[in-house]
Amino acid sequence: MILATNLKEAARSLLSSKQRTILALIGIVIGIGSVIAMVSVGKIVQEESLRQFKEMGTDILTIEKEFGDSSGQSGKKSKTAQIKLADVVAMPGACPGMADVAPLVRGNGQAAYNGKKLDQASLLGVTESFLAINKMTISQGRFLTDMDAQSRYCVVGSKVAKDLQRLGARQVIGEQIRAGDNIFTIIGVTAEVLESGMRRFQPNESIYLHLTTALRLSSESSNGITTITARVSAGTSNTTARDQVLAYFAAPARGQAVRVSSPEEIIAQMEKQMQMFTLLLGAIGSISLIVGGVGVMNVMLVSVTERRREIGIRRALGAKRGDIRGQFLIESVILSLLGGLFGILFGIGASRLIAHFAHWQFLLSGGAILLGVGVSNAVGIFFGYYPARQASLLDPIVALKSD
Amino acid sequence: MLILRDIRKSYRIGPTEVDVLKGVDLDIHKGELTSIMGPSGCGKSTLMNIIGLLDRPTSGRFQLDGADVSYSNDDALSEIRNRRIGFVFQQYFLLSRLSAIENVELPLIYRGDRQGFTRERSMELLRRVGMADRAGHRPSELSGGQQQRVAIARALVGAPSLILADEPTGALDTKVGGEIMELFHTLNREDGITIVIITHDPGIARQCGSVAVMNDGVIVK
Ligand SMILES: Nc1ncnc2c1ncn2[C@@H]1O[C@H](COP(=O)(O)OP(=O)(O)OP(=O)(O)O)[C@@H](O)[C@H]1O
Ligand SMILES: [Mg+2]
Repeated sequence: MILATNLKEAARSLLSSKQRTILALIGIVIGIGSVIAMVSVGKIVQEESLRQFKEMGTDILTIEKEFGDSSGQSGKKSKTAQIKLADVVAMPGACPGMADVAPLVRGNGQAAYNGKKLDQASLLGVTESFLAINKMTISQGRFLTDMDAQSRYCVVGSKVAKDLQRLGARQVIGEQIRAGDNIFTIIGVTAEVLESGMRRFQPNESIYLHLTTALRLSSESSNGITTITARVSAGTSNTTARDQVLAYFAAPARGQAVRVSSPEEIIAQMEKQMQMFTLLLGAIGSISLIVGGVGVMNVMLVSVTERRREIGIRRALGAKRGDIRGQFLIESVILSLLGGLFGILFGIGASRLIAHFAHWQFLLSGGAILLGVGVSNAVGIFFGYYPARQASLLDPIVALKSD
Repeated sequence: MLILRDIRKSYRIGPTEVDVLKGVDLDIHKGELTSIMGPSGCGKSTLMNIIGLLDRPTSGRFQLDGADVSYSNDDALSEIRNRRIGFVFQQYFLLSRLSAIENVELPLIYRGDRQGFTRERSMELLRRVGMADRAGHRPSELSGGQQQRVAIARALVGAPSLILADEPTGALDTKVGGEIMELFHTLNREDGITIVIITHDPGIARQCGSVAVMNDGVIVK
């Protein structure tokens, strides 16, 4: 009964000084919001890494040519020399840890269909092994095989296929795409897949040519083979395989610097990124919570001072110290919970935004919401205790005589 | 029911000690309607607050219903105020955010009574003081006399054995003041409640069963 009355009283008292209440809430909202965002981003990243493992498997290495020569001398071409296709093809033989390799060439130039530019589409030169290593599938037609070397065939990603249909292609297979002076005939469409850390290209927005075709057509300034996706043989650790790859490219015959990354590394990188968010949000969160808590304390102290007469009357009617303390404590907890509620909404919004910009899949974490409620409750009790105690210790007669 | 012996109260203001009560002896019997009169500043309210357990005397002995309450702790005093004493103040002292009935309910709520009961009982007392039709009104929507009636209902709701009224008609005109006094008389006569009224009005004092006159911190008659 006292609790129910106190709840009602607290709501009334807070409503009767709306402005002050709202100002006190801002800190709590930002604080709880940051905490919620922090926890929920953590959760999102955790799920994201799991998803990446599941998507691509843990036995995939990405080998990239090292750009930006440290010497800075343009004359020293040897280090940035192009990776030869023959060297890539020879990799599984030379490195026992390599089961399969899929080199990639990025073409330049704009593709067009029916005289209309395909703005999003980029050209990629690939080999037969590309599809399987990248865990992709064909939805229509067939993929390029090594029999298609030097051919004018191409396979398009699912988004490109949709674009073509929008531009009037009835049947995507058999349609022709122009790139520069060359015309390519579409022989297949890949099924839609997620873009992820291990696929360093836009799988759905690419036009795939055979690597040999792409190399021949690319201009002098092209970088040649820039990326190789490789599958590690069963029973070989990623580290061993990586060392073999590094040694292979460093050998005098090739003398190329490459960077090898494994799924573990990509996940580690993501987690590092997340740690930064966590640190930032944690700092903002704890500072705002303190500021917000002090705000709540201030509002409550003012409230106690303004209501001394009321406290005196209640004491005269038989309220014990504990009753008065409870009344003000409930008021500060309600105040903080209200801030917590808005903070939770704010935090969910913020983590949604972060997930959006980091290309992570957003998910709502129930634990974060529970934490938000718990923390705001704790802030209310912690910062409300002192004012509530002050109120309860007021001498009845002094309180009653004050105005 | 009330026995006060050599009650003293002094306040320290800076270096000087001000003696307000200088040894009050007073007996009030059960069922009596007593008035306390005296010039302004003689210590009537101070004495009333001590009797009402809102304030503690500097020295002296004080028995309420045969029990010495001089050394009771704060919670015990709150309990006694809640169950055995009803206050009526000159400025009514209703809580402005609460409706009339919610004000009347307060002593029962602090007692921990069920809501259904507190409502019913409060309504009963509002009826008794003739304010049933104003149960949902805020104090600001009531006249002074009406507010004092609500305050009396609040003082009575917990069925106390003692009502302490400090100049209950001080802020009211003669007619309304007379009605309030009539109410006190009825309560005293019909319910046998012990009532102590502080007043400046000799007319009011004359109606009371016994009159104590105070001067400069002591009872002189
Ligand atoms: N907290 C206090 N500190 C110092 N002096 C006080 C305090 N409270 C009361 N007094 C003094 O005690 C004296 C008695 O005050 P009290 O209120 O009891 O008078 P009263 O008889 O009720 O007067 P009135 O008829 O005007 O209400 C006054 O001189 C007042 O100044
Ligand atoms: Mg007085």
